[in-house]
Amino acid sequence: MPPTGLEPCRMNRKKGDKGFESPRPYKLTHQVVCINNINFQRKSVVGFVELTIFPTVANLNRIKLNSKQCRIYRVRVNDLEAAFIYNDPTLEVCHHESKQRNLNYFSNAYAAAVSAVDPDAGNGELCIKVPSELWKHVDELKVLKVHINFSLDQPKGGLHFVVPNVEGSMAERGAHVFSCGYQNSTRFWFPCVDSYSELCTWKLEYTVDAAMVAVSNGDLVETIYTHDMRKKTFHYMLPIPTAASNISLAIGPFEILVDPYMHEVTHFCLPQLLPLLKHTTSYLHEVFEFYEEILTCRYPYSCFKTVFVDEAYVEVAAYASMSIFSTNLLHSAMIIDETPLTRRCLAQSLAQQFFGCFISRMSWSDEWVLKGISGYIYGLWMKKTFGVNEYRHWIKEELDQIVAYELKTGGVLLHPIFGGGKEKDNPASHLHFSIKHPHTLSWEYYTMFQCKAHLVMRLIENRISMEFMLQVFNKLLSLASTASSQKFQSHMWSQMLVSTSGFLKSISNVSGKDIQPLIKQWVDQSGVVKFYGSFAFNRKRNVLELEIKQDYTSPGTQKYVGPLKVTVQELDGSFNHTLQIEENSLKHDIPCHSKSRRNKKKKIPLMNGEEVDMDLSAMDADSPLLWIRIDPDMSVLRKVEFEQSDFMWQYQLRYERDVVAQEESILALEKFPTPASRLALTDILEQEQCFYRVRMLACFCLAKIANSMVSTWTGPPAMKSLFTRMFCCKTCPNIVKTNNFMSFQSYFLQKTMPVAMALLRDVHNLCPKEVLTFILDLIKYNDNRKNKFSDNYYRAEMIDALANSVTPAVSVNNEVRTLDNLNPDVRLILEEITRFLNMEKLLPSYRHTITVSCLRAIRVLQKNGHVPSDPTLFKSYAEYGHFVDIRIAALEAVVDYTKVDRSYEELQWLLNMIQNDPVPYVRHKILNMLTRNPPFTKNMDSPLCNEALVDQLWKLMNSGTSHDWRLRCGAVDLYFTLFGLSRPSCLPLPELGLVLNLKEKKAVLNPTIIPEAVAGSQETVSNLNSHTQLIGFQNAFSNSQEEEEVDMDTVHDSQAFIYHHLNMLERPSTPGLSKLRPVSSRSALMPQHSPGCDVTASAKPQWGVDMSRKGIGKEQSLEMNMLSVPAAPLSVFSKEPSSSKHSDHHHHHHHEHKKKKKKHKHKHKHKHKHDSKEKEKEPFTFSNSPASGRSVRSPSLSD
Amino acid sequence: MRSGSKQATTPADNYYLARRRTLQVVVSSLLTEAGFESAEKASVETLTEMLQSYLSEIGRSAKSYCEHTARTQPTLSDIVVTLVEMGFNVETLPAYAKRSQRMVITAPPVTNQPVTPKALTAGQNKSHPPHIPSHFPEFPDPHTYIKTPTYRELVSDYQVLREKAASQRRDVERALTRFMAKTGETQSLFKDDVSTFPLIAARPFTIPYLTALLPSELEMQQMEETDSSEQDEQTDTENLPLHISVDESGAEKENASVLQQNTSLSGSRTGEENLIDNPYLRPVKKPKIRRKK
Repeated sequence: MPPTGLEPCRMNRKKGDKGFESPRPYKLTHQVVCINNINFQRKSVVGFVELTIFPTVANLNRIKLNSKQCRIYRVRVNDLEAAFIYNDPTLEVCHHESKQRNLNYFSNAYAAAVSAVDPDAGNGELCIKVPSELWKHVDELKVLKVHINFSLDQPKGGLHFVVPNVEGSMAERGAHVFSCGYQNSTRFWFPCVDSYSELCTWKLEYTVDAAMVAVSNGDLVETIYTHDMRKKTFHYMLPIPTAASNISLAIGPFEILVDPYMHEVTHFCLPQLLPLLKHTTSYLHEVFEFYEEILTCRYPYSCFKTVFVDEAYVEVAAYASMSIFSTNLLHSAMIIDETPLTRRCLAQSLAQQFFGCFISRMSWSDEWVLKGISGYIYGLWMKKTFGVNEYRHWIKEELDQIVAYELKTGGVLLHPIFGGGKEKDNPASHLHFSIKHPHTLSWEYYTMFQCKAHLVMRLIENRISMEFMLQVFNKLLSLASTASSQKFQSHMWSQMLVSTSGFLKSISNVSGKDIQPLIKQWVDQSGVVKFYGSFAFNRKRNVLELEIKQDYTSPGTQKYVGPLKVTVQELDGSFNHTLQIEENSLKHDIPCHSKSRRNKKKKIPLMNGEEVDMDLSAMDADSPLLWIRIDPDMSVLRKVEFEQSDFMWQYQLRYERDVVAQEESILALEKFPTPASRLALTDILEQEQCFYRVRMLACFCLAKIANSMVSTWTGPPAMKSLFTRMFCCKTCPNIVKTNNFMSFQSYFLQKTMPVAMALLRDVHNLCPKEVLTFILDLIKYNDNRKNKFSDNYYRAEMIDALANSVTPAVSVNNEVRTLDNLNPDVRLILEEITRFLNMEKLLPSYRHTITVSCLRAIRVLQKNGHVPSDPTLFKSYAEYGHFVDIRIAALEAVVDYTKVDRSYEELQWLLNMIQNDPVPYVRHKILNMLTRNPPFTKNMDSPLCNEALVDQLWKLMNSGTSHDWRLRCGAVDLYFTLFGLSRPSCLPLPELGLVLNLKEKKAVLNPTIIPEAVAGSQETVSNLNSHTQLIGFQNAFSNSQEEEEVDMDTVHDSQAFIYHHLNMLERPSTPGLSKLRPVSSRSALMPQHSPGCDVTASAKPQWGVDMSRKGIGKEQSLEMNMLSVPAAPLSVFSKEPSSSKHSDHHHHHHHEHKKKKKKHKHKHKHKHKHDSKEKEKEPFTFSNSPASGRSVRSPSLSD
Repeated sequence: MRSGSKQATTPADNYYLARRRTLQVVVSSLLTEAGFESAEKASVETLTEMLQSYLSEIGRSAKSYCEHTARTQPTLSDIVVTLVEMGFNVETLPAYAKRSQRMVITAPPVTNQPVTPKALTAGQNKSHPPHIPSHFPEFPDPHTYIKTPTYRELVSDYQVLREKAASQRRDVERALTRFMAKTGETQSLFKDDVSTFPLIAARPFTIPYLTALLPSELEMQQMEETDSSEQDEQTDTENLPLHISVDESGAEKENASVLQQNTSLSGSRTGEENLIDNPYLRPVKKPKIRRKK
């Protein structure tokens, strides 16, 4: 219920306090979303929203909201028609007359465009003018109800329709629709304040076909038939204040399953999948119990819903009281491999219910707290469910990932603090995108960001103990739940928002510990630590001399100062030492405890108290050191390269009980191909008690060692006898036992060993015939009839093993690959692949794992020259209509083909798919794969790199991907990989070679002519580029050569300004002419706009007050669509008498606002100076509604 | 009975034909005896037929009487009873046989009994054991009652078995896929050859996730074997055309799936089943007020 008559909240507390300062001059308390009609055939949605807002300032006369894609028919404020403008600068980031092609320019412009509509800065695409009749009302800070009618036609983002093309009604066809998107993307499907920090209560209504179910947030209050009984309306109430960004929807003919353990939890899946749903969700209640127990807090919402949908945007998406999953997570009881993965997804989504949905964030820079906490408690769940080994393995994996990423790209910053928005203060200048907004982030960066966030939470836990950590979480939750129950005290709701400072304050209150240095190191600063360690044992002093160096100059690194734990395993036991890493001290002396040389009788105590017998003959007789570990608890985000002798690594592998240590030693042993290493690895492989992942890793290491030792290797190929002993029949060792996967550890080992064995090579660098025969026999004798589990993953890995055994073909004079000269071994492999692939058509395996492996294997054969390289097969498997895993595998092959064969045609085919494929995930994935395996890179000469491609990609990221943040960022990543930050080298030089610098009265050579290497700073080049371009339009416009950095907004503005001028000069009075103007093509980018909106675009809106104040995005106001209902009374707008007098010049005002000490000047100074007051009174131009498709000339245009 | 016009080919036919001819001669002589000069063939045939029927009936009845008294061979008395039964005055028979004008006809030519094809003679017929009187029929051929185990040496060699199973399956799969490939569209890895490694062409599905996620029928069978307790309960509530199911058996069902973890099944929850109040299970309400248009 909307609060009534309350004192509007005003947050005027000082900054840094955890109080929340709303960027908006009003407080939203309640929102109604009503979707009356959903048409699956046309993929359209019609509805309205009603926002209840309380002004917090007296002179509130404009309300900015977020809305994208929506066609807005009509806006009423307290039942009075209201004028509005709709302006989305992110639709087209750089205007198309610009021939700018450098990424630096784009990224800045993109960040500016996103800022211009950023709800966290109080901005929005939709600006509603409060009718003058209500001004008095507003002055009294009384409630306003903003009612917006909208529709959505063929949305390309935000809502995803899946409509299978089969016979029957929509419900029979399994058609469904669901909301999706990256970060706050709710604005794509209804107008709202799309911010995580603007909380309100919700009433949601969806009218759907009677055979369908609408699942949304909050409690389903009732379901009512429409009068014709053909439709039902689902009424939802969400009394817990929630951000619009956490609102979601899924509609489809779902099967409904009430959780047998928790009746307030309901699961939904697509028709026919109910048995899978039952099995998949049968575990969820345990996750619930776990979280509620550790957080000592009940699940905050009164119900929970899981929906499994096809063509999901991401595998897991958490929203208030519901989560949307990919249907591909469903599995039956026979599937082993998918089970832990799916459970992890469920647990992850549930963790985000507490932190992310219920507790929201104050601003983007606080995102890390939420991701950190939800990731951290998810980790605790993992520890409990899969054990400490799995947990530590996961932590190591995540740590390795983040370290690799940071070292590659130069750092991930968790808590960016932005100064004046100046380029210099940009904390992420090493990146090709801005980290100021979630929507400008590269997807990979965001993934790594989340990974780092939970690792840092773990560091905090190490510092303050888990108990305190959980207390902090509990405190946050109980504060939030108290606040959420304050139905009429909306100012209290900000307690439900978490901020970095609030979180840190809680930590210090609860634990009494100062974690500021830790925060400064890992949160306020990017980069990881790179240690190099080596040691020497001083026999005389019985001291271990440890040298630890750091690399803090490479990109992505930082200097670490502070404690560092070192564990030394000696003969007499294991000892922990805490070293202080300081500025200049590299050497650390650690006294050794073991005086005794060698007492063979004695057992050696390990860290965990265990005492073991060891064969000490391999040791250095003079040293009591068995092994040394630096930072064994991973309490620093670091990479350690430590040097110790091979026997130490071997001891560490055999006797250290920590799986992380074992994995580290396995990696290190790769460099020591000796019989002793071989023995250590074989022993580990055989050891049943050893963690299965360690054993799997040992397989691959053993294969590498065997290859290095190929000339001295004795006995059968590595692992063969071991495998035979473990998995083959006693009586006939060449035949594998019939499958029995009851023991998962052995199952994983059995799956992995052949894959690793296939990597073995003989002296001719060929896979030994014996190994190939062995694998072929495994396939031949595979018998799963008695097994309770499916063997699809096992068979798939056998195909992977076959692929691994393939070595490059011996090619004679580049002969064409034909069947006749096919290698007999390859013939056997191909025989198997053919049979497997064909059998899949008749008896498909779960998730088509076998098809996926076959496709990969075929690509391997192609690449190695056994089979003619040809993408046709893959292209047919990549088509829409295949299972997504198959498509991705096929696309990966096409991407690889594009690179290897430098095929322009295939690249075009891929780009086409990026633009047109119906599945957002596939589009994203293609970009991602192209970025990882690019057809060429920026420093490479490639026939593929040409101007058309640059234009194409530019267009893609500039305007082609405006409906999907993730996709656009993916396009930016690809552009960066292909061309780098500056203007692509394959572009011809701009036409103008000279730049007039009016300020300094000299002409300089256009910097783009200067080869890239010569041009000192890329940035300078790019900025100047932008000006060069401008000169094409207006030579009076220039910039100081020395000015190293130009405010991009300014550039942006000036372009817009010029463009506007041109536009005005040729402004057609008839709509028809507008088609000739290049500008008009913009409308093509907004498919929902009818042709009539060209007229709209040309009608100059003279109202751009807020934009000019913000200094961003005003060029869009030129083409801004003034929307209103055709029938709306015009009198609403006649409030400003100046309206009709306002001439064409008025819109230039947006230049004057540049109080930002801009150096550049231009000739076209306006005569009209507007003071701010005048701006407020800027007339409201009104033309037509793009939705109506009709053009209504407003009086203001008639002059 | 066979008509004489039919082409007799088998020895059995010949046998019957000879008998019939004899009967015809008998009929003819009787006619001559009665004073007929000539007779139409048809009437002779009819009379022959009647005679044959009469004689056959005597034989059949006599056999019945004989068997009735647990004998195998008819005696004179059997014949007499038969004749009496058939309404024949037996007293007149000796006189008739001794009549003066009777014609004596030659004995029919000896024709071989039709040889019943010798049934498989497998082994010696068993002689009667002492407790069975010798007049009892002989034992049938041994093969009709003696069981002859004809198995080969049991293949107990595991290796051979596995080998066989594997190659059998492989052959079936290969033949099947080749057949599918031959009869449908294919793709090839080599431009110059389409038949050596024929790949069945990829065909997109309208709903790809169904085939990918649902276990195949084969696997379903296996699954049923492992847990048959699972039952899908589908209730169509009167209003919803949806499949709403409450997994009530879930709690009891043995959770075969759990990843080596014991799902602690809380028995206490099972009692609540009947009280499930889930908004999605509630019936859909009728529109409240019907507005007039």
